[in-house]
Amino acid sequence: MKRIALALAFAVLVVCAGCGKKQQQAGQVTQTPGKKKWTIGMSQCNLGEPWRVQMNKDIEEAAKQHADEIEVIFKDAQNKTEVQQAQVREFIQMGVDLIIISPKEARPLTKPVAEAYQKGIPVIVLDRKVEGDQYTCFIGADNVKIGREAGKYLVKLLGGKGKVVELKGLMTSTPGQERHQGFMEGIAGSQIEIIFDADCQWLEPIAQREMQSALARFPQIDAVYAHNDPSAHGAYLAARQEGKGREKTIKFIGIDALPHEGVRYVKEGILTATFEYPTGGKEAIETALKILKGEQVPKNITLGTRIYTRENVEQGGEPL
Amino acid sequence: MQNRWHRFLEKLNDYRGVIAFVAVFVLGIIFSPRALNTGLPIFLSWQTQLAILYEYSEYGLLATGMTLVILTGGIDLSVGSVLGLSAVLFSLLTIGYGWGVAPAIGAVLLTGLACGLMNGSLIARFKMQPFVATLAMMTAARGAAKLIAGGIKVQPGGQPWYVMQEGTPSFFLWMTSALPGIGVQPSTLIFLVCILVMAALVRYTAYGRWLYAIGGNEEAARLSGIRVGAVKVLTYALCSMFAAMAGVLNACRQDLGDTEAGMTYELDAIAAVVIGGTSLMGGRGGMMFTLIGVLIMAYINKILSLNAVELAPRMVIQGIIITIAVLIQQKRGRSS
Repeated sequence: MKRIALALAFAVLVVCAGCGKKQQQAGQVTQTPGKKKWTIGMSQCNLGEPWRVQMNKDIEEAAKQHADEIEVIFKDAQNKTEVQQAQVREFIQMGVDLIIISPKEARPLTKPVAEAYQKGIPVIVLDRKVEGDQYTCFIGADNVKIGREAGKYLVKLLGGKGKVVELKGLMTSTPGQERHQGFMEGIAGSQIEIIFDADCQWLEPIAQREMQSALARFPQIDAVYAHNDPSAHGAYLAARQEGKGREKTIKFIGIDALPHEGVRYVKEGILTATFEYPTGGKEAIETALKILKGEQVPKNITLGTRIYTRENVEQGGEPL
Repeated sequence: MQNRWHRFLEKLNDYRGVIAFVAVFVLGIIFSPRALNTGLPIFLSWQTQLAILYEYSEYGLLATGMTLVILTGGIDLSVGSVLGLSAVLFSLLTIGYGWGVAPAIGAVLLTGLACGLMNGSLIARFKMQPFVATLAMMTAARGAAKLIAGGIKVQPGGQPWYVMQEGTPSFFLWMTSALPGIGVQPSTLIFLVCILVMAALVRYTAYGRWLYAIGGNEEAARLSGIRVGAVKVLTYALCSMFAAMAGVLNACRQDLGDTEAGMTYELDAIAAVVIGGTSLMGGRGGMMFTLIGVLIMAYINKILSLNAVELAPRMVIQGIIITIAVLIQQKRGRSS
C-alpha cells in the first residue's frame, strides 16, 4: 500500500513537472500581442558540447537586439537524428516564419528541411550541411582554412622549423580530418616535423594521457597543435604535471576560441594562440532578418576565422 | 609426484591474474620505444610507472567500489555519472561559490552517499534489478551535473558570478603534482590507500564475509542471519562514495569540472574488475584481483599510447584482451 502511494506521489510529481514546462513553452509562442512579430524556430542538434551551447547563446543575444521584430523558439534534439526530424516538422506545423537548423547528420535531415523549404518557409542551415539545394542559405566555417592558418602561424612562430605534437580530434569526423589536412597544407615546405600524433576524440582526458606519452618519449617538443582547445589545455596540464617546467617552453595552440574556454586560456597564458571556429549564431540572425524583410542573401556564407594571441586577446582577436 | 604437480597447477591457477600482469609487463618492455635523450626504454622508468598509476587512479577508485557491488552479485552503472556530478559539484562549490576545499569535499561525499543510498534502497527495499536502478541513477546524475553547471564546463571565469575568476584553488594543483621526495601524486595515493583498506576490510572483517555470502547464495545468507538488505545498501553507498571521491580527483586532474566527465567510465571499471578475475555472478573474487585488473588495463593502455598506435587498431586490441581475460575466467569457473 505504502509503495503504491509512493509511486502515485512520484507520478503526480512527474506530470506536474511536465505540465509546467509545456505551459512555459506555449507562453513563449503566444506572446505576439497585436504587432507583427516574426517567429524563428531554432533546432540545435545537441547541447552537450560547450561550442553548441555558445551557438545558442550567440543566437539569443543577437535576437535580443531585435526583440521587437523577432522571437526565437529553441529546441534541442539531444543528438538524436529522429528527434531533430520531428522538430523540423513541428516547426512547419506551428507555422514559424523561418527555421534555423544546425543538423546532426546531412542525409536524414535533407528531406524534412526540403519539406519546409517547399512549403515556403525559409531555412538557414548552420555549421553542418544538408544535401542538395533545397534550403535558403548555408552558413558555416571552413575547417581546412582554419587548420591552414594554424599551420602558417606555427611556421612563423617557430621560425620555420621545429618538432610538433599533433593532438587530433576524432579522425572519423570531418572537422578532425579537415583540421589535419589544412594544417599539413599550412606547414608544407617548412622544416616543421610532426614527431607524435594521436586521436584524442576531442576529449581532454585522452589528450592529457597521450601528451604524457609524447613527453616521456621526446626530450624536445617545440609546440603542440591541438584540434580543439580542451585538448590543448589537457596537453598543457600534462606538461605541468610532469614537473620539469616544460609547460613554459612548449607553445600550445588550439582551435575553437570559446570565450570562457580557449580565449580565457590565452589570457591566462596557457595557450599561445587559439583560432576561432565561429558559431555563426550572430550571422544567422542577421541573415534571417534580411530574408524576412525580403532581401536577397547568398546561398553560401563562409565565415572567416580570428586568431587570439596574448597581444590581441584584449581587443577581441584579429580576423585572418 | 602427480599429486604435487597437480597442487602446483592449482596454485598457479590462483595466480592467473598475476601471471597475466607479468606477461603484459614483459610485452611492455619488449615493445617500449626508447627515450631520445637517454636511449633507455621509456617503459621501465620509475616516472612511467607513476604516470600509469596516476592516469588510472580514477578508474581504480571506481573499480574499488564496483568490486564490492559485484561481489554481492550486483552491478552499478551509475558510477561514471556520479563521478561527473561530483566533479562538477566540487568545482562549482570551490570555484563558483568560493567554499573551502574541506567542506566542498564533505558535500561531494555526502552527495555520493545520497546517490548510493538511493541505489541501495531501490535495490534492497523495493527489489528493483540493480541494472535498472543504477541505470536510472546514471541518467539522473548526468542530468543533475548538466543542470547545476548550466551546460558548460565549470572553470574560473566560466560565469560572471563565479567567485574565483583567476585560476583554480591551489588544492587542484597540489592533488596532481608529485609530492616531494617520493614523487607520487596525492591522487594516486588516495587510490592506493582506498583499495588497500578495502582489501583488508573485505578479507578480514565480518562485512567482507557477508559480501561473499550474499553473492554466493542470497537466500542462504538471509537464513543464516545476515541482514542482506542493510549490507546491500551499505555496499552501494560505499560504491557511490568512491565514485564521488574519483570525481574530486577528476576535477583536480582536468583543472575544471566537466559535465561529461566519467562518461562510459563505468564500463572500464566493470572491465577492470572482470579482467582481474572477480566473477560477475558474485561471490568469487576480491579486491587484490581488481588491483591487478586495473593495472593490466592501465599498462596495456600505456604501451599502446607510448607507441602512438592508431585509435582503430587500439580499440580492437583492447577488445581482444578483454575477451581473453573473460575466457580465462570462465574456464576457472567451470573447473572449480
